[in-house]
Amino acid sequence: MEYVIEMLNITKEFPGIKACDNVTLQLKSGEVHALLGENGAGKSTLMSVLFGLYHAEEGQIKVHGNVENIKSPLDANRLHIGMVHQHFKLVHNFTVAENIVLGMEDTKYGFLSMDGAIERINELSEKYKLKIDPNAKIEDISVGMQQRVEILKMLYRDAEILIFDEPTAVLTPQEIDELMKILRDLIKEDKSIILITHKLDEIKAVADRCTVLRKGKYIGTVDVKETSKEKMAEMMVGRKVSFEVDKKPATPGSTILKVDKLTKKSDTDKNVFTDVSFEIKAGEIFCLAGIEGNGQTQIIEAITGLANFSSGKVEFNGNDISGFSIRKRTLSGIGHIPEDRHKHGLVLNYTMKENMVLQTYFTDEFQRYGFLKFDAINKKADDLIQRFDVRSGQGRESIARGMSGGNQQKVIVAREMDRLPDLLIAVQPTRGLDVGAIEYIHDQLIKHRDSGKSVLLVSLELDEVLNVSDRIAVVHGGEIMAIVNTDETTKEQLGLYMAGSH
Amino acid sequence: MEKRKSIFRNLHSNEKLLSIMPSIFAIITGLLFGFIIMLITNPSGAGSGLARILFGAFDEGSKSLGQVLYFATPIILTGLSVGFAFKTGLFNIGATGQFTVGAIAAIYVGVNWGFLPGKFHWLIAILVATIIGGIWGIIPGLLKAYRNVHEVVATIMMNYIAVYLVKWFILSNQSIYNQEKNETASVLSTAKNPSLFMKEIFKGSQVDGGFIVAVVVAIIIYIVLNKTTFGFELKAVGHNRHSAKYAGINEKRSIILSMAIAGATAGLAGAVTFLSVSLKHMEPLAVLLPQGFDGITVALIALSNPIGVIFAGIFIGYIKQGGFTMQLSGFVPEIIGIITSAIIYFSALSLIFQSFIKKILGKNGGNK
Amino acid sequence: MDTLYFLLRLSLFSAIPLMVVALGGMFSEKSGVVNIALEGLMLIGAFTGIYALNLMQKAGMSGQMLYIYAMLVGGVMGLIFSLLHAYASVNMKANQVISGTALNLFTPALAIFLARMWTGTQQVNFNDMFFIQKVGFLANIPVIGDLFFQKAYISTYVGILILIISYYVLYKTKFGLRLRSCGEHPQAADAAGISVYKIRYAGVMISGFLAGLGGVILIVPTTTNFNATVSGFGFLALAVLIFGQWKPKRIMLAALFFGLMRVISNSYSLIDVLAKLKLPGEFYSIIPYVATLVVLAFVSKKSAAPLAAGTPYDQGKR
Repeated sequence: MEYVIEMLNITKEFPGIKACDNVTLQLKSGEVHALLGENGAGKSTLMSVLFGLYHAEEGQIKVHGNVENIKSPLDANRLHIGMVHQHFKLVHNFTVAENIVLGMEDTKYGFLSMDGAIERINELSEKYKLKIDPNAKIEDISVGMQQRVEILKMLYRDAEILIFDEPTAVLTPQEIDELMKILRDLIKEDKSIILITHKLDEIKAVADRCTVLRKGKYIGTVDVKETSKEKMAEMMVGRKVSFEVDKKPATPGSTILKVDKLTKKSDTDKNVFTDVSFEIKAGEIFCLAGIEGNGQTQIIEAITGLANFSSGKVEFNGNDISGFSIRKRTLSGIGHIPEDRHKHGLVLNYTMKENMVLQTYFTDEFQRYGFLKFDAINKKADDLIQRFDVRSGQGRESIARGMSGGNQQKVIVAREMDRLPDLLIAVQPTRGLDVGAIEYIHDQLIKHRDSGKSVLLVSLELDEVLNVSDRIAVVHGGEIMAIVNTDETTKEQLGLYMAGSH
Repeated sequence: MEKRKSIFRNLHSNEKLLSIMPSIFAIITGLLFGFIIMLITNPSGAGSGLARILFGAFDEGSKSLGQVLYFATPIILTGLSVGFAFKTGLFNIGATGQFTVGAIAAIYVGVNWGFLPGKFHWLIAILVATIIGGIWGIIPGLLKAYRNVHEVVATIMMNYIAVYLVKWFILSNQSIYNQEKNETASVLSTAKNPSLFMKEIFKGSQVDGGFIVAVVVAIIIYIVLNKTTFGFELKAVGHNRHSAKYAGINEKRSIILSMAIAGATAGLAGAVTFLSVSLKHMEPLAVLLPQGFDGITVALIALSNPIGVIFAGIFIGYIKQGGFTMQLSGFVPEIIGIITSAIIYFSALSLIFQSFIKKILGKNGGNK
Repeated sequence: MDTLYFLLRLSLFSAIPLMVVALGGMFSEKSGVVNIALEGLMLIGAFTGIYALNLMQKAGMSGQMLYIYAMLVGGVMGLIFSLLHAYASVNMKANQVISGTALNLFTPALAIFLARMWTGTQQVNFNDMFFIQKVGFLANIPVIGDLFFQKAYISTYVGILILIISYYVLYKTKFGLRLRSCGEHPQAADAAGISVYKIRYAGVMISGFLAGLGGVILIVPTTTNFNATVSGFGFLALAVLIFGQWKPKRIMLAALFFGLMRVISNSYSLIDVLAKLKLPGEFYSIIPYVATLVVLAFVSKKSAAPLAAGTPYDQGKR
C-alpha cells in the first residue's frame, strides 16, 4: 500500500517544552487515520507542522514519496493538503463564498469576480452532498453549516489529504452522524483523511488505523478493527484506565437548590432557556448534561449571578436568591468552578496566593480596616497548596499564567472547596486536563458529596456524566428534556434526550 | 564570555533590576535618537547639545535643581494619573483634558473665592480642581462600564471637549480673564501653593510645595494599589474584568472609580501647576497642554509603579531643564519633545526587549 | 443664498481633508491596526508638503501641478512615518495606542524643530495660487456648480476621487477582501495563505499616505502660512471614522457634518437663525466630539469596528 503522507521523526519544540518528540505518522491512500492522544499530547502541533503553520526542528515530511518542505499553508495547499481547524477559521461577516475563495480569489479587470467561484461551490456541494447557500453570511448559519464551509474550503482547493481537528466537539449527535457519513463519502472520492480526536467511539466508528501520541511522544500505530477500546485508552494514557469511578450510593438529604421555571428571553424569537426547573438535594451530585451550546452555560450564569434571567426563581437553602449579587451568593454558600478557568476562574497575572483568596480577600480573616493581611494570606495559601497538592515552581508566589492547566484548575478547586460551600457548581471541571488530573477532580467532587454537601456538575462528556453523577438532567435547546437517575439510564437513552427527543 | 555570563546571572538573581531594563533601554535609545537628529541638523553642536541635555540642569546649582523639581511636579501627578489607570487596565489618554479642567477650576476659585479664610482658600481650590478632574475622568469611566466604549477614544474626545469648554469659560468670565494680556487673571496669594520649605531649600527657583503634594500622592497611590483590598479589586478588574466579576467584585464600579481617581489626580496636577507660587497663566487657545502627554511618558518609563513615577518625573523634568539651555549650543528646546516621544516609542517596543533578555537568561540558566 | 453657498464651500475645505484622513484610518483599522497617529501623520504631511511648496515657489515654479506635487510629498512623507507605527504594531506587537501616541508627540516636535532650524521661525509660508474661480461651463450647473465648481480647489476633486477609489478597493477587489479578513479574523487569513503582516503594513501605509495628503489639503485652502499644527484635525478624523462606522459612504457624510460644524463655530454670526441663538462658537466646535461619544454609547455593544483591530497578530500563537 502506498503512503500519501509520511511524517518521519518530527520534533517540534516550544520554549521550555517539546510539543512533538520524534513522532512518526504515515497516512495510506484512501484511509481514515485517527490521531489519538490526550490534551497536550501534541496532536494539533503535529498537524500544524503538516499544514505549514509551524516548522519542525527535526524530521522530514514526504508527500507521495517526495520530501517536501512545507513552510506555509500555501505550500500545504499546493500539495493538496487541507485542514479543518478545531476553531473554525471563518470571517464572521463574510459570505460563505467569500470565505471559501479567500486567498485564491478570481479577478476580472482587477475587480473581484465571484460568479465562477459560486458556480464551482454549488457543483462541489452537490457532488459531496454538502448543502449550503454560498451567499449566506457566516454569522447567520449554524455551527454544523460552518463546518461544511470549512470542508468545502478544502475541496475548493482540490485537497486530497484532509485533516480534521476534533471535528465533533461542537456537533450534535445527528450532526456527528452526518459528519461520519460525509467522511465515508470523501473516502469514496479517493480522499485520505486524518482525524484528530480523543474520543474512542468515533475512532471505532470511522477510522481504519490509529496513531497514538502521549506527552509529545509517539506510542504506536494500530489497526482499529483489531484493537479494543481499552487497549487504545491504555496506549493514550500510559497505564490501565478504569473509567469507572469508585463511589457509594448517594444519600440525599434536604433540598439545597431549587430552580423554578427559569426562563431567559433573547433578542431573537427563540429563548436562551425556557422553564428550567430542578432541585438538588444535599449529598448528591446532580448533572446538567447536553451538547455544547444548548443553554447550560446561561443557566449556570443565572444561578451564579453572572448574568440575569427573565422570569422564574432560584431558591437556595430556602431563600430566594434571584436578586442577590454575585458576592452575596458566594457568601451564602455557593462555590463555583467556572467553565473557562482563564476567562473567569483566575486572574492570570496574579500570583497563586492572590488567586487563592480571590473569593475571600475582603473577609476579616484577610483584611483589617481595608488593608490586606499578607501573613494570613500566605498561611492560607501554604495550607491549600499542601492539602490540594498544587505544584508550581515558586510556590505561592508563582504567577498563575505560568502554571500548568492541571495545577491552575487545582488552585480553583482548592479555593472553592475550602469554603465548604453547601452547593458546589462545577462546569466542565475536567476540560483540557490529562487523565490523572481528571481522576483527582472526580474524587474531590465525590468527597464533597460524601461530606453531605451538594454538587451541580455540567459536563459534555457522557462518560463523565454517567460515572460521577447521581441524577442527570438533559438539556436541549434551552429546555430540560428529562431528569433521570444515573443507575436507571444508558448512554443511548441520554443520547436521544440530548438530540431533543423525549 | 565567562564574565558576560556572570553579569547575566547577577541580573537574573535581581528581578528588580531586570524589570527596569526596558525603561533604561527606552531612555538610552531615546537619547541616542535625539543625538542622531542633532548630529544630522547641526553636527558641530551636537556633542555640546547632548552634554547640555544631560548636565545642563546643574548650571546654576540648587536653583537649577529646584527648576527640575518645578517641571517635575505636574508630570509626576499626570504620570500617576496615567500609571494608576494603567495598573487598573485602562489607558487614560485624557490626562491633558482632566489637567486643563482642573487647572481652570483652581484658577477660578483662586481668583474669585478670596472670601475663604487663609489656608482654606488653597485647600478648597485644590479640592474643587480635583473633583472637576474626577468628573472629567468619570464620564469615560461610565461610558466604558455601562456602554463598553473604549476609554482611549472616549478620553480623546473628552480632551477636545475640555479645551473648547475651557476656552469658552475663560472668555466668558470677565473675572478670570485678563483681556490685555489675553490670558487668565492672577490667582490671589492665599490660593497659591504653600512653600513647605521648598522655596528655602532651592532658593531662586520656581519650585514650591506642589512637589511635596505630588510625592505624597504617589505614596498614597502606592499604598492603595499594593496594600489594600480596594487596590486588590482595582488591579483584578484591570487584569481580567471577567474573573473579577466572577469573584463578586463590582467591576463596573471599579472601572468608574479608577477613571475618577485618574481624572482627579490629573485635575490636581492642573491645580498645583496653575496655583504655583511663581504664578502661571492660561491662554484661551483651545490647545492640548503638554503636561498630560508627558504623564504618559513618565508612566511608561516607571512601568506604572507610583514610586517609580516620582523618579521618572524628575528625570523628564531634568532633561527639560537641560533642554532650556540648548539654545547656547545652537538648538531649539523642541529637541526634548523629540527625545521624550522617542522614549515613548521605544518603551512600546521594549516589551520585546524584555522577553529577549529573558530568553538569553533562560538559555544561560539552562546550560549551567 | 450666497451666504449658504459660501458656508457650504467653506465646510468642504474642512470636510474633504477630514474625509480623506478618516478613509486612511479606515484602511489601517480594517487591516487590524488601530491608528490614533493620524494627527501626527497629518502634521508631518502638512509640514513637508507645505515646505516643498515653499521651496518650489521660491524656485519660481507655479501652476496647479505644484499643489499636486505638494500633496504627493505630504502623502509620501506620511507614508514613511507611518512605517514606524507599522513596525511597532506589526513586527514588534507593541501596544498600538502607545506607538500612535508617540508619533503624535514626535511629529509636532520634529516639525517645529526642523522649521526653526531651517527657517528660524515656526512658520512656513506659501502663496495660495490654487484658488479656482470657475471651472468652465461646469460652474453654471445649478446647485452642484455653485457648490463644487466655483471658488474651489482641485483638492476637492482629489478627495472625491479618493473616496470612490477607496470604496471600490475595499469592497470590490481581492486586496480589499484580504484587508478586511485580516482585521476581522487574522487567523483565518493566515490559514488561507495570506500574509497578515504584509496586509497590515499595507493598511498602515495607506493610512499614512492619506493622512499626509490630508494634512496638505487641510492647510492650503484655509491659510497661507503653516504654523506647525493641524489643530486636532487628526483626532477629529478619528471621530469621523468612528461616527462613520468604518464605512466609506458614512465616513463621507460624517465628514460633511463635522466640516459644517467646524465652519459654523467660526462663522455662526453669518447665519441669522444661529446668530439669534447666541451660542458661543466653542459650542459648535464641541458638537462633533459629543456626537461621537453619543454614537459610541449607542452602538458600541454591536459596533462595526473590525473585531481584531488593536490586537497584534502573533504567528507563533496560531
